[in-house]
Amino acid sequence: MKIKQQEPASLQQQTTPMIDVTFQLLTFFMFTLRIVGPEGDFNINMPPPGAGAAKAEILPDIKVRLLADQNGNLASLKLGDRQLGIGPGAFQLLNSEILKLVGGANAARSTDIEVEIDADYNLHFDNVVKAIGACTGRLGPDGKTIIRYVEKIKFAPSVP
Amino acid sequence: MKFRSPPMPSAEMDMTPMMDLTFQLISFFMMVTNFDQTQVDERVRLPTDALAKPPEVRVEHQLVVNIGYKRAKDGTRLDPQPFVFLSGEELRIPEYRSRLQQEARVYQAKEVNLNDVTIVVRADSDVPTGQVQEFIKMSQDAKFEKFTLRAQQPID
Repeated sequence: MKIKQQEPASLQQQTTPMIDVTFQLLTFFMFTLRIVGPEGDFNINMPPPGAGAAKAEILPDIKVRLLADQNGNLASLKLGDRQLGIGPGAFQLLNSEILKLVGGANAARSTDIEVEIDADYNLHFDNVVKAIGACTGRLGPDGKTIIRYVEKIKFAPSVP
Repeated sequence: MKFRSPPMPSAEMDMTPMMDLTFQLISFFMMVTNFDQTQVDERVRLPTDALAKPPEVRVEHQLVVNIGYKRAKDGTRLDPQPFVFLSGEELRIPEYRSRLQQEARVYQAKEVNLNDVTIVVRADSDVPTGQVQEFIKMSQDAKFEKFTLRAQQPID
């Protein structure tokens, strides 16, 4: 009598569910990916009204004035009473003038001196960020470390 | 005479290289995905500055506020007034006052001191500075004290 040999059970694992899940994961990550440039923060010193009234004035604040034209673009940049002009050159000049006032990069005075940004109400916000950047310091030769000029930055009250 | 038939070639595809590649792709996307940026609204065009460096110490309590414009695909503003973008909601800046007070109450309920909460202002480059200051004033009224202005690093 001829006995039919039973076929051996397949040893191959069923990979279809794993492939399904893997592709779903891949799709999820592909759709949720946002390619954005690195972001950074500028700290500003904004104590509640009245909190700084009792502060002893050791060093006078450095006042930076930003005037806007009708369209909200920068019309004039002033450091105290001195005109620095407009455009990128004005912010570079502001940066070097602040360095002179502070007395050198990472100077001890840099923690005491405060810069007050007084911007027109309708001035585009990017100009204020440029001014804060110019007052804060500059990048070191390695392009990564920040050489700080001023640490405290505050806003003057804005009037519409 | 008995002929032995040659074995049939397997119809099953070799999935191993495809799976290898798929897992590599998943690993890549997992590495580059930043879940910290879930509060970031893409409609806000941040100002750029080289000194805008990510903070070295992670801030424990932060409230990210996106202020920007509704824009058409070509970038033109659809509304002259800026909005505060929340997840799925768009509020005028003065309308956000009640939300700020609500957030303050939530932090207080969690026994978090409001002095330890940093408000991260992600404001569009074109937003009038006065409106950003008004927002800061509103936050101060809600007893928040720490603020940071967010900017983007220039892409070389």
